[in-house]
Amino acid sequence: MERTPSDMRRSCVTQTVGCGVTYIGAAFAARKVLIKMSKSILAVGALLAFSVSSQAASKINVMTATEDLAAIAREVGGDAVTVDSIAKGYQDPHFVEPKPSFLLKLQKADVLVVVGLQLEIGWLPPLITQSRNAKIQPAGSGYVDASAFSKILEIPQGQVSRAMGDVHPLGNPHYWLDPDNGRRIAKGLADKFSSMQPANAAMFAQRYAEFDKKLTEAEKGWEAKMAPYKGRKVVTYHRSWPNFCERFGLDVVEYVEPKPGIPPTPAHTLDVINLMKREGVHLILVEPYFDLRTPNSIASQVGGQAVVLMPSVGGTKEITDYFKLFDYDINLLVNAFSKVK
Amino acid sequence: MDTFAFLLAPFIASLILTGIHAYLGVHVVERGVIFVDLSLAQIAALGTTIAVLYGIEPHSTGAYVVSLVFTFIGAGVFSTIRAKKARIPQEAIIGICYAVASAAAILAMSKSAEQTEHLKEMLVGNILTVSWFEVGKTAALYGAIGLFHYLCRRKFLLISMDPEKAEAEGINTRMWDFLFYASFGFVVTSSVAIAGVLLVFCYLIVPSVGAMLFSEKIGKRLAIGWTMGTLVSALGVYLSLKIDLPTGATIVCTFALVLIMMALFRALFVRRIA
Repeated sequence: MERTPSDMRRSCVTQTVGCGVTYIGAAFAARKVLIKMSKSILAVGALLAFSVSSQAASKINVMTATEDLAAIAREVGGDAVTVDSIAKGYQDPHFVEPKPSFLLKLQKADVLVVVGLQLEIGWLPPLITQSRNAKIQPAGSGYVDASAFSKILEIPQGQVSRAMGDVHPLGNPHYWLDPDNGRRIAKGLADKFSSMQPANAAMFAQRYAEFDKKLTEAEKGWEAKMAPYKGRKVVTYHRSWPNFCERFGLDVVEYVEPKPGIPPTPAHTLDVINLMKREGVHLILVEPYFDLRTPNSIASQVGGQAVVLMPSVGGTKEITDYFKLFDYDINLLVNAFSKVK
Repeated sequence: MDTFAFLLAPFIASLILTGIHAYLGVHVVERGVIFVDLSLAQIAALGTTIAVLYGIEPHSTGAYVVSLVFTFIGAGVFSTIRAKKARIPQEAIIGICYAVASAAAILAMSKSAEQTEHLKEMLVGNILTVSWFEVGKTAALYGAIGLFHYLCRRKFLLISMDPEKAEAEGINTRMWDFLFYASFGFVVTSSVAIAGVLLVFCYLIVPSVGAMLFSEKIGKRLAIGWTMGTLVSALGVYLSLKIDLPTGATIVCTFALVLIMMALFRALFVRRIA
């Protein structure tokens, strides 16, 4: 009774070709194919549900919006959690193309950790709604907004008026690029996991303490490497780096984008070039998903360099955890600074 | 059960799209205005962008009304560009409207003080995440428009297939052209909001092209188009689940595959018979 996918595909295809001549017959056959197809979809669903429930009975099933949050969740969750991320590190977290597997994963999640501050507003809300998982709805017990734990920059002060230009209403969503925020998120997640699994609370607390210690150690190394370049001015493509730059003492003086999400305009590009010449700025930090042409041409005008920094864990293969993210970016920066004098 | 439940709404939505678009596609292909849906969808998006520029929420009724007004303006333009022996092809005007509406939307966004970063994505739907509420609403809307077209089917078909005869019979082609483009724009705007531009274009054009391979008659063409649309929707949704690919794009490519096979079938068998 069970048919393999290739059988199904073949039979659908034959029906479709046949429909050219006898479309009424094909319509009937189509119904049959549909019924069969829905049966096999049911079977796949049942199988998935079974395998997950039998294997992960005691583990907390954690889904995260990005790989950075997944990396931190793994640090504190250890063996008591299973962690998976929706967006991959090499994707722009502003735009993610939904796939059926996302819905299946979200449906089974106990916890959903999001970056928040409207970073995922273009793609995540409908996925959450359609997952029909009450736990991870924004008001649900399993919905965790990591921005709630973190120090957020660029929050508009006082009355937001149109005259202020493009203001992000909730603050800059790229906050995980400050290790201090990574620590805060880890603490928040450890508390969350403990409240869900009180029996493992001591283990989560211990893992958090270890992460904290390891991070403090690593921060000393990163700060030492960046110390010679403290106060250097840089230009960034998108507003992804305020937390990173604040933490490591870089001064962001301008953006290649005239406004977040708006492609570079000629006048603005010229302004950027003039500003960089005037102030002796040599580095342009670019996210991997933007076109390098404008940054490169600006860099060649001012005798500088465009550096593609990775904003997320998983951006390249070697960045497998939260520590390697900063290792990678800081090595690149140190290299670039040493080249441009 | 879960998997099935997830994909049922997208599947039903794709059947609704098939129902109305395969029909409208026959008109569009007959009229030779293939890209009119992209153009009208872009004009509607420009309307929403301008609404947002004036501080209206992107998903509110206000924004919808503004985008509808823009769609009707577009419909008005398209209903005037048909002349018997025009030197300028209709597709040229449609293409110009598309480019200008896209560019104007970029300009509007660059002047907007609100956060525009996600506006584009919010205007374009994704069939995978369509909700049952949207499915129901769309079914009711398209049912009403379908009924309108069914009641006036003689006039609509005549102005699309034989405008000279329609004029000879004293039918006001300008007005009926406008009614056609207005109802068409209404459908396309709503479809793009739930399924995205690419998918809507495919549902509109591919079934009627596939059907033209095999029949001249409108009735037969519709039947073939609907059958094809239904099968491709089912197959596309299934493949997207099986291989875990974005659902809309998978359906689009499935359409192409099936169309190629239909053309091969025709080349191999139908000609020999004829």
